[in-house]
Amino acid sequence: MKTLTSAIAIAASFYGAQAFAWEATEGRPFEGQTVNVLAVKSSQFEAQEARLAEFEEATGIDVVYDYVPFPNMKEALTTEMVAGGNYDVVSVMDQWVASLQMLLQPIGAEMEAQGTDLSDFPAAHLRQGMLDGELIGLPVRGHVQLLFYRKDLLEAAGVAPPQTWEDMATVAKAIQDTSDAAGIALPYGKLNGQNMMVWMNLLWGNGGDLFDAQGNPAFNSAAGVAATETYVGYLAEEIVPAGSAVFVEQDAVTSFKQGNSAMLPVWWWVRSQLTDPEQSTLTADQVGFTAMPSVAGADRTTFTNTWIFGVTRESDVKGAATEFLGWLTDPALERDILLDPELDEVVAVHISNLTDAEVNERWGGMHQAAADALATAEGVEFGDNWPRISLIIETAISSLASGEETDVQAVLDKAVEGIAAIR
Amino acid sequence: MQDRLLPYWLLVPAFIIVLATTIYPLAYSFITSFRAWDMTESRSPQGFVGFDNYIYAASESAFLNSLWVTFIFVIASVTLTVVLAMALALLLRRKGPMHTFTRIILILPFAMSPALIGVSYRFMFNPEFGVLAKGLGAIFPSLQGVPWLADPDLAMGILVLTDVWHWTPYMTFMCLGGLASIPKETEEAARIDGASNLRIVFGIILPQMRGVILVMAVLKTIFALKMFDQVVTLTGGGPGTSTETLAYFIFNVGFRWFDMGYASALAWILTAIMMFISTWYVRMLLSERKMATA
Repeated sequence: MKTLTSAIAIAASFYGAQAFAWEATEGRPFEGQTVNVLAVKSSQFEAQEARLAEFEEATGIDVVYDYVPFPNMKEALTTEMVAGGNYDVVSVMDQWVASLQMLLQPIGAEMEAQGTDLSDFPAAHLRQGMLDGELIGLPVRGHVQLLFYRKDLLEAAGVAPPQTWEDMATVAKAIQDTSDAAGIALPYGKLNGQNMMVWMNLLWGNGGDLFDAQGNPAFNSAAGVAATETYVGYLAEEIVPAGSAVFVEQDAVTSFKQGNSAMLPVWWWVRSQLTDPEQSTLTADQVGFTAMPSVAGADRTTFTNTWIFGVTRESDVKGAATEFLGWLTDPALERDILLDPELDEVVAVHISNLTDAEVNERWGGMHQAAADALATAEGVEFGDNWPRISLIIETAISSLASGEETDVQAVLDKAVEGIAAIR
Repeated sequence: MQDRLLPYWLLVPAFIIVLATTIYPLAYSFITSFRAWDMTESRSPQGFVGFDNYIYAASESAFLNSLWVTFIFVIASVTLTVVLAMALALLLRRKGPMHTFTRIILILPFAMSPALIGVSYRFMFNPEFGVLAKGLGAIFPSLQGVPWLADPDLAMGILVLTDVWHWTPYMTFMCLGGLASIPKETEEAARIDGASNLRIVFGIILPQMRGVILVMAVLKTIFALKMFDQVVTLTGGGPGTSTETLAYFIFNVGFRWFDMGYASALAWILTAIMMFISTWYVRMLLSERKMATA
């Protein structure tokens, strides 16, 4: 079955290749070179790898993929940065880019020569490939948040999905009055900054931000306090499942999949899991989605997650590597995968695909909802101290959620002081 | 001449391996602890900063918190493990088919990966679907829906529980070895004299087990000081920083924040604590042997 699937994928790639805008450099200048790729394990990247034959045939470049599971990816990239020399192209998550800045080299001129259209990437994704004003990587995998909800439970309660965070508690309580499910599953526990990802929407919606114009931490503002009080307040209002204070993202997803929660704000790629009969008790008819709620009167927001691909500084085959990047970031390749009936890949980082009618028809309008959210999403500027900053903020939220601390202003002030004291 | 040198030559491969895998990294990290090394800026250690990294540690609240958390964890974990192991060994030292069977299954927790133990307990204490959370709620209705890992004290208690569950079997086998070496005659003589079981345990068995208990306590202390895996998979150091042990903090500093100079200094502080305990243990053991031979 696996062989058959691969054969179909390869056949589809040849068919799809007709539509590709990308064109190989004339004269095959990099023929015979090998590009070694280090990528995080992902079915999207495997689908791209399955379509390599067309690229290799056109350029004479061999591409070899090595995959590393997500939990080990940062260590693998760190080793590559310090020891160096094994890979030419690497995938890097947005939050790691600045701290792994010695790993990647500028590629702006090369990508321009490839004809890559940077304006087709949403700003929130593209900014993650920029460092000190230079392009060092291109988005290949990008996520936005959507609010998934149980159609049946909301219908039974006679309510519509909340459009604002102010409505959230009302809708959640109405659902709880007519079912056993908790209103909404949210992560408050500590793991890779996951408990910040919904909270950030409240911060932005209230007019706040993590840092001020001078780059100083500013989330202890009135907006930050209001955002935190709302977010942590859902625990006191008992509209989240018991034990949410230590829920990480996967716990929240599991709660929704098991029918214990009625709403779930989470990354869009989770959708396929939510109705997978091997993992979930829910059917496709029961699950709906909408854009993330906004704070009343404010623009819609979404926290984004972006994986960029860049060329390593130690690469001896920069020309071949950037030619490969040109092919990899071609919107036609992404579209081909999105529309492949053999695959279940929803991820897109090109505006042309997010707003594509055929793509939206296949995925029920999810991509247009993402495009709407991305239109006003700014994204976060992750500096090289981000891992530490993220830990300090997630610890603050966790302390408030667990009841270890109760004074929101004091906790945020302490977190700001902690960030300011980073050496 | 050749015969005299042969043993040294035979030791060379082992010496090279130890040098490469232990001595060199230790020496390198010791030197690094006196240098600045922000790995986001440089692939190799930067300038010497004297004792700056150590001085910074002494004033950093996150480090001091991790030291306190580790202290609490070590005291609770070592005490409970040693007491439980001794009690189990006393129960299991008699021979019989059930005892043999129990001894075999007793080793299973120790055979499990600490990271897996953390993940398993995280699931089992999930208030929505965890078997332990649900089971406790069924037996004691007041415990229904208790968010076990969301409370700082309960989270620490569960972290200790996982470690005790993991290590008690191994320590029980150490105790069983120690109990087997106690001459039966003294116990039999005490019984003939009418001593109670409790008196025999506290008056005869425990004094003769002092050396074994000491070894157990020191080994367990060293293992507990290095507590890392379950923190990562069970609590993530939370809620807040309530279960952030020293080893976990060092990992964060070194491999998440890439401050290798500071991480090396912290690692040497941990090493110094363990060396102090080991030295104390060797002295205690040697003094005990002297007393025994006197």
